[in-house]
This record gives sequence, C-alpha cells and structure tokens, in this order.
Amino acid sequence: MSDKVKVAYFDFTCCEGCQIEMTNFGDAAFLELLNHVEVVEFREAMSEKTTERINIAFIEGSFSREADRARLEEIRERSDIVIAYGACACTGGINALKNHQNDYHEEVYGKDAKMPHLDSQIALPVSAAIKVDYNINGCPMDKDEFIRVVSHLVHGKQPVIPNHPVCVECKLRETVCRYDQGDHCLGMVARAGCGAPCPADGIPCEACRGFIDHPNEESLVKVLMEKGGLSRERAETRSRMFTANCRADAPEKIVSPNK
Amino acid sequence: MNAFFIKEADFTQFLGNMIGARKVIGPKARKNRFVFDQIRKPEDLRLDYDVTILPPKKVFFPPRQELIRFHGQKGSSCIQPESTVLFGVHFYDIKAIDMTDHLFRENNMDFNYLAQRECTTLIGSNVQNIFKRAFFGSVGKGVAPKGHDGFTTKISGGYLYEVYTAKGKDLLAYGTFIEATEEQINEAREVNDSVMDKCPEKINHDSLEISEKVRSKFNSPVWEEFAHDCFSCGSCNLVCPTCYCFDVQDNWNVDQVTGSRDRTWDGCLLEDFSSCSLTGGSKENFRETRGSRYRHRIMRKTSYLTAKLGGPACVGCGRCSSSCTADIADPVNVINRLMEE
Repeated sequence: MSDKVKVAYFDFTCCEGCQIEMTNFGDAAFLELLNHVEVVEFREAMSEKTTERINIAFIEGSFSREADRARLEEIRERSDIVIAYGACACTGGINALKNHQNDYHEEVYGKDAKMPHLDSQIALPVSAAIKVDYNINGCPMDKDEFIRVVSHLVHGKQPVIPNHPVCVECKLRETVCRYDQGDHCLGMVARAGCGAPCPADGIPCEACRGFIDHPNEESLVKVLMEKGGLSRERAETRSRMFTANCRADAPEKIVSPNK
Repeated sequence: MNAFFIKEADFTQFLGNMIGARKVIGPKARKNRFVFDQIRKPEDLRLDYDVTILPPKKVFFPPRQELIRFHGQKGSSCIQPESTVLFGVHFYDIKAIDMTDHLFRENNMDFNYLAQRECTTLIGSNVQNIFKRAFFGSVGKGVAPKGHDGFTTKISGGYLYEVYTAKGKDLLAYGTFIEATEEQINEAREVNDSVMDKCPEKINHDSLEISEKVRSKFNSPVWEEFAHDCFSCGSCNLVCPTCYCFDVQDNWNVDQVTGSRDRTWDGCLLEDFSSCSLTGGSKENFRETRGSRYRHRIMRKTSYLTAKLGGPACVGCGRCSSSCTADIADPVNVINRLMEE
C-alpha cells in the first residue's frame, strides 16, 4: 500500500483542455510529480476509476446541470481537499457567457435545440455546489502554479492563491502599460498568478482568472471609457468574457474559497 | 573637485570601451518608454530618456529575488554580487537610492541588497528631457543627491564628468578625458539648475510643513474621496524608487526536496498586504478600506519616514502619477489639496 498522496481528476462542463494541459507538462513536471503523488482516477490519461478515499480531488469544468450536483457532493464526501482548477471550475469561465442570454439553443443547435442533454442551467463555479478548498485559476491553468499548489499541499503547507491584480505582474516584468500604448486592458481588476504574458505580448488582459476579491468595477468602466476610448455599453460589458459570475450583475455571487 | 571633459565625438568610444570591460546597466528604450537594462551597444544607451518604468533600485533589489536555495533542511545563500556600472541615473533616483541604502542598512543589515550595492559604480547624468508628470523641482529641496561615484552632464561639445570616488575615477581609463575648464563646470551647474523650475507639476509647500500638516489630516475625508477610483493595484508602490516592501515565500521544485526562499516586491495599496494570520486560522486586515491604504502611502511618503531620512520619502519622479490608470495617485494633487484645507 502506497503512502503517496492520492489524487484524482474529475471533469464537468468544460473543454477538458486543463487535463490536456496537465499531460502537456511532460517528463520534467508531470512524471516527476508522479514520484510524489499517486493518480487514482484521471479520465484523459487512464481508464481506472476509484470509489476509495481521495486525498486531493482536482475538479475541472463548471457546474451547469443540476444533475451534476450529486456527483460533486459524492466527490466532496470522499476527498480531504477539493481543488477547482481552470477557469470553468473556478469562476464558471467562458461557459458563463451564456448566463445573460436565452436564445442560444436555437442559434447553436437549430432543429436539435430541444434535445434533453442540452437542458442546462446557468454555468456556475464548482463552489456553487460544494465547498472548494483552493482554486488554481486560468484558462488554461498554469503549470508552475499547479506545481506550487500541489507542492505546498504535499508538504502540509497552505498554498497562497494570488489576490492581487495583473498590474502587479506587468510592473514586476516592466511591461509597457497597454494604456501607455493607446490600448485598453482589464489588468487592474483581473486576478494575477499568470505572470502577465498577454500584455507583454501586446494584447490586453482578458481577466481569464476572474476578478480579484474586491474589483473596482465602477472605476474600470470609467477608465475603459476615458482612457481606453470604449463606448459606455462596451465598457460596461467588456469584462464579461471570463467574469460573468464575478461581476456585480452576476446571478449568483461567487464566494472565494481562499478567504 | 575632480571635473573632466570628454568630446561628443569621443563619448561613443568611451562607452564602447566601458561596455567591453564591465557590465553596464543604463537607460534603454522599450516601445515608447524607457527601462534600465544591460547596455550591449553604445547606441542603446539613451541619456535623453525622461524617466524609466521601474527605478534603478531594481539593480540591487530585483522585483523577484532568491534569498536562499534549500535542499531538504539545508539552506545556502544566493548572494552573488556582480561588479556593475549603473550609468545614467537622474539625480532624483540617486536621492532615492541613498534612501534605500539607509533603509536596507539600518537594524538588520540586508546583505542581499548591500552586497550588490557595494560592488556597483553609480554614475548620474543630467535630465535632458523632463517627464510629463515630474515634480522633482519642488519636493525635498533640502535633500542633496549623494552616494554616487560620478556624474555626467551634457554641455556644449561633449560631456562634463565629475568624479566623486575612486570607483568613479576608474572609469576615466575607458575614454579620452581632459581636465574641465571653469566655464565648462559653470555651464554644467547651470544645465542642472535650469531643469529644477521646468517641471510640469509643483508642490507648493515646504516638506517639513507638509509633514506636520498631512499627519494632522489622518481623519480627513479626503483619503476616501481620492481613493474612490482606486483599483488597489499597487502600481504606485511598485514603480516608486523609495518603496522597499517585499513578501517572502518558500517554493519547492517539482522534486519536492529542493527549492528556494524567494522575495517579491509588495505594496501597501494591495488588499492582502495588511492581512495577518491570527491564532486559530483566522485573519485580520488592519487596512481594509481603499481610503486607509491610500492614506498610508501618502503618510509614508510625506511624514512617517522624514525623521529617519532627513526629508520626504518622495523624490518627485512622477512615476506613480503616470502608472496609475485611474489617475488618482499623483502626490502633488493630494498634498496641495490637503495643504490648502
């Protein structure tokens, strides 16, 4: 019987890209990590399943069907630590873009719009159904952050999940601000941890990790209009791609698991 | 005084020789801004810069720095100073480096900072272009720049190079310098004096007066008013040449045995900066509101450190004002407003 930390991966409403990202870690990271953890369930990489006790459960994907609640509760029940990883699990991610719309069934599926499996609720983070201990944010989640969180837990330490905005990480790497380039950006309200690669490549931050705990949305709209040159309507909806459940107009307010 | 002159035509060769012999860090263009970075070709050095995104303190106090590398329970120091010439630093940043020198030296000496500081040759240069948010002409006027090894000023036909220390004198070997004339020394003084009243922004009061008045305004509604649009993004802290707070965390490598203890710049405007662990796993944040965090920064710059530093902990570079996307960080606006109340 192994005394390694037992980990399992589960997926809900998502593209499974974060699981793929995990296998993309390659020998250096993923196989090395396997010396310290035992994977007992991981649909993307192995066929075995488990019904046993799990030390760390990694959950990918948003909670978008009431029918999934029982499965989530069952995972919670037999796991010591539950980690939501990837934007969909942490905030609802891009799935939550549908939350303010109701005409997408016909738009997307045409004559198949009434198929029973398409009957879903609004897309919510995993934390809307069960208690989540930690979030590993990002679309997709980041290798270094994943290893940092797992390492801390293997050593019995509490990992620190960033609650500072992306501006911090742009400053640390001395990126010229998008606003100094006549562009706009969501970095002031976006949760960091990614290392701010997008503004460094010359594109605005889209807040794929959701908002920091207390984003100043009113000021964001003002800056997007005054400095970013966006119309009021565009400024007010600009942050929605990844933050539909974080915004003040969200149907159900997210409780950050890191508090 | 040791003052020398080098002709414009000889300056490129001087830079080329120095770059060939030493690691040189100086102002370089990055898109439409400037940064301090290693100079590998003479033409990369941009002494006509207005201000850099980050201040030159990063040479001694990098944004992210390994303090200790560990293997199991054993740790070893990461201090590996490298002889460096930090060239082309404006006088306001020299003032700021003098402050961080003091702050990292007092009490528990910070060898991670001091080791690199001590093997750096610090050479100033005159301000050729004034940054759009600068107010260095009206802040801490009684505080003179010191702690540098030499200073260059662009004058007619070339550069005046003033030497203050043996480290500064060493650089003479890289170029064709001649003794400067009285006229050249006077011209350089005039060049440096003339920028002082050309700043686009101005603080209207003396720093001692400001220190007392601002401190007395602790309970003013002004703080919440100015902080209304604050994103708590910490940009004003992170670009500040006198801010020196950092966070320390341990990180394991994937082998779970080796790793490092790292420090990263932190800032008092960030929400979690003042969040503390209490017994029983609970937390307390003693500066929970935007206004209280905003006030703390201004208090630190105007009042709290003045006795220790002999002047305000602000040098008027204007970096915080320009890096603030909501444009509420400018010390000139809040100080002048408080002084008029």
